[in-house]
Amino acid sequence: MLSQALGAVMLLYLGVGLLFLAAGLWASASLNRLARLLFGAGLAAHTAILLARWWQSYHLASGHQPLTLFSEKLRLVVLQAPMSNFYESLVFFAWCLPFLAILTWRRDLHDYLGTVVALGACLLLAYASLGGVDSRIKPLMPALKSNWLLIHVVTCFLGYAAFTLGFGVAILYLAQERRSRPSLPPRSQLDRLLYQTTIIGFLLLTLGILTGAVWAEQAWGRYWSWDPKETWSLITWLIYATLLHARLVKGWQGRRIAWLGVLGFVAVLFTYLGVSFLLPGLHSYLT
Amino acid sequence: MSTSISNSRLTSRLWGQLTSIRLTVFLLLILAVVAVVGTLGFPGLYYTIWFLAPLGLLALNLLACLVEGLPQALKRAARPFTGEMALALPERGRFSWPAETAAPALVEEILRRELGRPRHQILGEEQVFFYGRGRLRPLGPYCVHLALVLILAGGVVGKFWGIEGRILLQPGIDGSSIELDQPGRKLPLGFLVRLEKFQVRYYEGSGGTPQEFRSDLTFLQDGAAVKQAVCRVNDPVVFGGYTFYQASYGTLPGGPVQLELTREDQRQSLELPFRRWVQLPGSEIQVMAVRVEGNLQGLGPAVQLAYRPGPGHPQFAWLLQKHPEKVKPLGPFRLALAPLKLEYYSVLQVKHDPGVGWVYGGFLLLLPGLYLAFFRPTQRWAVVLQKGRKDRWEGRLLGASPRSRETFLARTERLRERLQRGGA
Ligand code: HEM
Repeated sequence: MLSQALGAVMLLYLGVGLLFLAAGLWASASLNRLARLLFGAGLAAHTAILLARWWQSYHLASGHQPLTLFSEKLRLVVLQAPMSNFYESLVFFAWCLPFLAILTWRRDLHDYLGTVVALGACLLLAYASLGGVDSRIKPLMPALKSNWLLIHVVTCFLGYAAFTLGFGVAILYLAQERRSRPSLPPRSQLDRLLYQTTIIGFLLLTLGILTGAVWAEQAWGRYWSWDPKETWSLITWLIYATLLHARLVKGWQGRRIAWLGVLGFVAVLFTYLGVSFLLPGLHSYLT
Repeated sequence: MSTSISNSRLTSRLWGQLTSIRLTVFLLLILAVVAVVGTLGFPGLYYTIWFLAPLGLLALNLLACLVEGLPQALKRAARPFTGEMALALPERGRFSWPAETAAPALVEEILRRELGRPRHQILGEEQVFFYGRGRLRPLGPYCVHLALVLILAGGVVGKFWGIEGRILLQPGIDGSSIELDQPGRKLPLGFLVRLEKFQVRYYEGSGGTPQEFRSDLTFLQDGAAVKQAVCRVNDPVVFGGYTFYQASYGTLPGGPVQLELTREDQRQSLELPFRRWVQLPGSEIQVMAVRVEGNLQGLGPAVQLAYRPGPGHPQFAWLLQKHPEKVKPLGPFRLALAPLKLEYYSVLQVKHDPGVGWVYGGFLLLLPGLYLAFFRPTQRWAVVLQKGRKDRWEGRLLGASPRSRETFLARTERLRERLQRGGA
């Protein structure tokens, strides 16, 4: 049931992406309004699906350990947030994109930017639904049972999503740079949006790394152990720290910053996917 | 004479390099590249000169930036925003109101609505209303940089003054020392740790995923029990300056493994002492119990058997207590496992790290630092009122924000519109 609903949301995002594209091509304000409305509806449905899966997951888990105290139930609710395997992380990642874009871009979310966001969310959902990813709810292993799980995963994935938005902006910037098109957003706006998404992503990724370190210290007695996923998140963090500082150096503006945004996103992708599939480590339960 | 001049020039050039953001950008990229190489199969790289040298340089770079910029940032953050400073802000617009307008009250009202409660000062002919926010912004990046220095320092302190190892506890054998990470080195604890009980629970029907495992521990000092505690994953125990983390567990047989052998309808039992070769009666085949598991992939208790039909390399097979049908025959023998007596041992990670406090201090300092740097841009506005020709009110809107140009310009624009409409 939930997977069918998710499929519908995926198609809705696809439609929204095309609507935004049409709005850009014909410079139509009403198409833009319609696309935004549908985007909001899609996000609402997506949110409901996440909550339903959360409920299911909580229900399954409370079958393993019947609880009476309210505080124990609350803790189980926190632990059972639907973000503990690869499938759930894809669905949550897909949710973060429209959520962040609507929250932070507001009026800037139109035309091609809207297309980029909606198609990004659609692609992630398509991978989750059609990519042969195991969608079963699995019980949590003991190391994952920590109050830090929720905040760690939420900050990391919102951070990834912010960087993904930044990547979309950087690509548009580079396209504008090669051949200026009046239909695309002006470069000054793209530059500002790239900086804004980088700031948000950097803040969230920093929080994600910190909460992960505190958690690892509590679970294994090591706040840092050079596990591949950890190391790649540090690489990502270093690249975006470079971006923030490079803006302050003369001669590092515009195009080079956009390229750093692209490079940072490659590191994000590798942190999220590459490490799970190519390098073994502490985080390998994700696959 | 000339050497001292060139010396001081050299020093200042060096200092210039050390405080430059160009160096920062370079070092951050180098560190990223070396870290990438490290994940491609050189995990030891992070403790070699290739990583530590750029990291050390980055620490120097950070410290130099702090020394260079922090005093000025502190001074700027400490200096209150005054009417005189407001007058020096660049002009953003003008307006003119009729003489009968209650201008001071109206200006105050508009500023309060659009920004926040302004302050007021009379300087000669002029009345200045001014409002500023984000005074602490200059401290933000320095908080972040100081936090990073603290974290790096914490790492160094932990490396040099920390102790890290593991301890393997079995019921009935008290632990008195930890095995350090360097192979073969042990460190006496100065007290005893006793494993009273080890428990593991599995999820039902989940292929053997453990739901919880825990060690009930007693700490003994000079023969007397001083503390009892439960050590669980994500729930460590502190005693005697060390922290004990439930890392993993394993199983040992609680006696010899009992095998049931069937050969052409003839049954017989055989005892296998753990990890010793035993010859199967009336054959060349040798077997050895090498591993026991409490729950092998959700199939229940199991023993791993090494066997060799004669000289040569041994082969391995699993015997399942609850699923004798899954056990392959060994030559003429069919094998079954009598109920296993298992004993768990518990592996605890043990640590003493005086650097963790520094690292956590750095984490805590990072948060306000990032908040100030990113979300509290310095923004200042002022409205200057003056009586002009025919007693009309002549006003000027001033303002500046070195960063966050966009939000500043949008606010300023709204303010100007309100002011220009205001008198009418
Ligand atoms: C991993 C290392 C570093 C991190 C994570 C870091 C982080 C930051 C952050 C978050 C900001 C605010 C950026 C903004 O407002 O856009 C900043 C600004 C700055 N950083 Fe760093 N930094 C690092 C290393 C350094 C080093 C080594 C230097 C020394 C040259 C440096 C010099 C500066 C300067 C001059 C600013 C601007 C200050 C201002 O806006 O008033 N940073 N840094």
